[in-house]
Amino acid sequence: MLANIGDWLNERFGWRSVWEAIFLRKIPHVNWLYTLGSATLFVAVNQAITGILLTLYYVPTPDHAYDSVVYITTQLPMGWFIRGLHHWGASAMVILTVAHLLRVFFYGAYKFPREVTWMTGVILLIVVIGFGFTGYLLPWDQRAYWATTVGTRIVGVAPVVGDWLLRVARGGDELSAVTLARFFGTHVWVLPAALIILVGMHLYLVIRNGISAVPGKDE
Amino acid sequence: MKKQEQQEYMEKYKKAKAEGVPFFPDIIFKDIVVSLLILIILVLLAYFIGAPVEARANPNDASYTPRPEWYFLFLFQMLKYFPGKLEVVGAMILPTLFIGLLLVLPFLDKSPKRHFLKRPFASLMAVGVLLGIVGLTLLALNAAPTPQTTVVIDKAADLYAKNCANCHGPTIDVPAGVDLHQIIAAGNHQGMPAWGGDLSTDEIDMLVGFILSPNGSALFTRECAGCHKNAIQATGNPIELQRVFDEGKAYPAHKDQDVTDWKKSLNVDEQNALLNFLAAPDGQRLFVINCSGCHGEGIAFKGSKEELRKLIVDGGHQLTMPGWKGTLSTDDLDTLANYVTDPQGYPAGTKLFGIYCATCHGDKVPVAPDKESALTMIGSGGAHITMPVWGDILTSDQVDALVAYTLESGSETGIIVGAKLFAENCTFCHGKYGEGGLNPTFAGDTIAPISSPNYLKTRDDTTIRNIIAEGQTFGMPPFASSYGGTLNDDQIAALVAFIRNWEIIPPIIPDIPATPTANPTATPGTTSPGSGEVSFADQVQPIFQSRCIACHNSSSGQAGFDASTYQAVMTSGDSGPQIVAGDAANSPLITLLQTATGFMPPMGKLSDDDIQIIVEWINAGALDN
Repeated sequence: MLANIGDWLNERFGWRSVWEAIFLRKIPHVNWLYTLGSATLFVAVNQAITGILLTLYYVPTPDHAYDSVVYITTQLPMGWFIRGLHHWGASAMVILTVAHLLRVFFYGAYKFPREVTWMTGVILLIVVIGFGFTGYLLPWDQRAYWATTVGTRIVGVAPVVGDWLLRVARGGDELSAVTLARFFGTHVWVLPAALIILVGMHLYLVIRNGISAVPGKDE
Repeated sequence: MKKQEQQEYMEKYKKAKAEGVPFFPDIIFKDIVVSLLILIILVLLAYFIGAPVEARANPNDASYTPRPEWYFLFLFQMLKYFPGKLEVVGAMILPTLFIGLLLVLPFLDKSPKRHFLKRPFASLMAVGVLLGIVGLTLLALNAAPTPQTTVVIDKAADLYAKNCANCHGPTIDVPAGVDLHQIIAAGNHQGMPAWGGDLSTDEIDMLVGFILSPNGSALFTRECAGCHKNAIQATGNPIELQRVFDEGKAYPAHKDQDVTDWKKSLNVDEQNALLNFLAAPDGQRLFVINCSGCHGEGIAFKGSKEELRKLIVDGGHQLTMPGWKGTLSTDDLDTLANYVTDPQGYPAGTKLFGIYCATCHGDKVPVAPDKESALTMIGSGGAHITMPVWGDILTSDQVDALVAYTLESGSETGIIVGAKLFAENCTFCHGKYGEGGLNPTFAGDTIAPISSPNYLKTRDDTTIRNIIAEGQTFGMPPFASSYGGTLNDDQIAALVAFIRNWEIIPPIIPDIPATPTANPTATPGTTSPGSGEVSFADQVQPIFQSRCIACHNSSSGQAGFDASTYQAVMTSGDSGPQIVAGDAANSPLITLLQTATGFMPPMGKLSDDDIQIIVEWINAGALDN
């Protein structure tokens, strides 16, 4: 019976070939360092889930951002925990992404035929850092405010276009409601969209080209 | 990499793959193990450390030392080595270059070698960069100030930053004697909103304390906020506060606490700042806390400011205790003198003290240095401690505020003015005692008793103020000049104070049946329209009396119109006379009364009969008959 349903679905979805291509593909003998990529993906999912939960209560305006964060942390049942997971998950993302990058680098795995996989990975690193930078402002506390004031000032030192870039980053000359709105928008819409597209490409390429083997001493 | 090398690699990889294991379940098992491990670490971190929240962002506090997230620290540390014009190198060029190199790495390193020992240049570069980043991060961590372990938030400063700083900047200069609490609660006419709805009384007190003594708020945060989470948890009573300073560890509530001897650790300025924060030099609040227990709502002090100041500062030293020499027997005087010299040693005096002295002294036994002076003091009278020596208790700022407020409250402002205004503007509908009754401007409506405890308890000052200023449906016109009424903000504040005072001293309403002052429809209907000559006194004036005069009277003539007398009816009105004798169709009054929507009176058009009476009276020449 169950097999029949499976067959019926397979005729329509062709899921068995997908299953074979993804889950039954052969992988050379690798060590534990090869789990860093999937661990990064796991934490990314953690960030997505906890992040979505946080947006249910977070209010991205200077009037209410701080209060809503305090509310989440002190009043909302399990709010402190969800926020704690999101907070520490952010650091874990950076650590794991960099660790994954180092593994790929020292094993020479960015070479033929995986050049593009590497490049999407580097862009993903930039996206992760972007998440960290935009997310830092959202609680609208002293640390957030002043770190972002200093952080955005850096783009202002660019020659010629510096002032313009600074105003784009802040949405004006000073940190304001506009800054918070665009950091929030970037954090929950722009970067997640970029992340999904890039992770999709990254995974497709990993499966398409196979996971690199641990190079021997003579390679 | 040449084509041949690529093919070699692919073949080799194919072989390695064939010898390998399937992704499911071998590889994915490892992935899940690691992911779960990371999840456990995250859960532990979230559970035991959690995510920090610092004080609310305060754009005015430029003294805050910004600290970026740890993974940006190396970048900030690096910037320190590129001062001035070179900053662009550290901030822009190097990071961009680094990311660019990383991105195109596969095209720079084209050798087919994969093992890291076989490509020493790339490996050394990577190790170098890595060590550099780690090193810079460590340097930054050492250079940065150690983060405070327990962040105690200056709550008052936080409130100020949130509510006031946007308009007022970092500080506000407030002249002595201003009733700051009231201003914050009710707002003012220069565009400041009323905060009474958003902030609790305690929060407003805290804000007042911060505005008048910002240093005191910082001191409070440093010295007291560890135990007293809110400023209001510490007492706002200056007498108690002075005791805390004087008694230190001996102060009952601080007995088992690890408290500092603030009398020593804080200098006089700091002590004053702290006292000014906890019991803000806000005259009205100080008066309520310190004086109204004995003096009630206010004191009509006729002397000068200096005299009042001296009276408050010296307190009871100026008052006289009666001489007891003729009243009490020598034995009794002797016992009492012994008792006040050494209460424990002469318990026999307790009873006498209870009879003669406790009325004024309470259970506070004044201690005399020796029996001689005690005898003299009791016998001849003299110094008296009924009124505390406020000079020892209040800071100079607090005394100034108290003096200013007392003088002002004693003069003709506040409740007295409010009472007059109430009599002029409100009694017609609300009754002399605010008891309400049938609505004279709108048949069938009843006005609630605004002096009742229930009414007053459920409406704060801001609400009452808004009701007076903006008016109500069912016929109450707006009274604020900004809404077209006749009262300014101060007058409305006085009215609110008068109404609020009912809560403390409820009006004694004479036991009369609660009938309305006027019956709106009785008189005009008696004469049917068109039955000959219409009389102003008998027919027209009663209509005005019942339906118009509540708002259009001599003292608060809305729109400048006064319907109380014939003379006034014929001449008053901001837009000119409202009645053209002999021509009802062109009399503005009739237009207003006849508008389909019933423009006047605002809540319910006059009956057609009533309008007809007025029309006929005007057409007949609008005579004073």
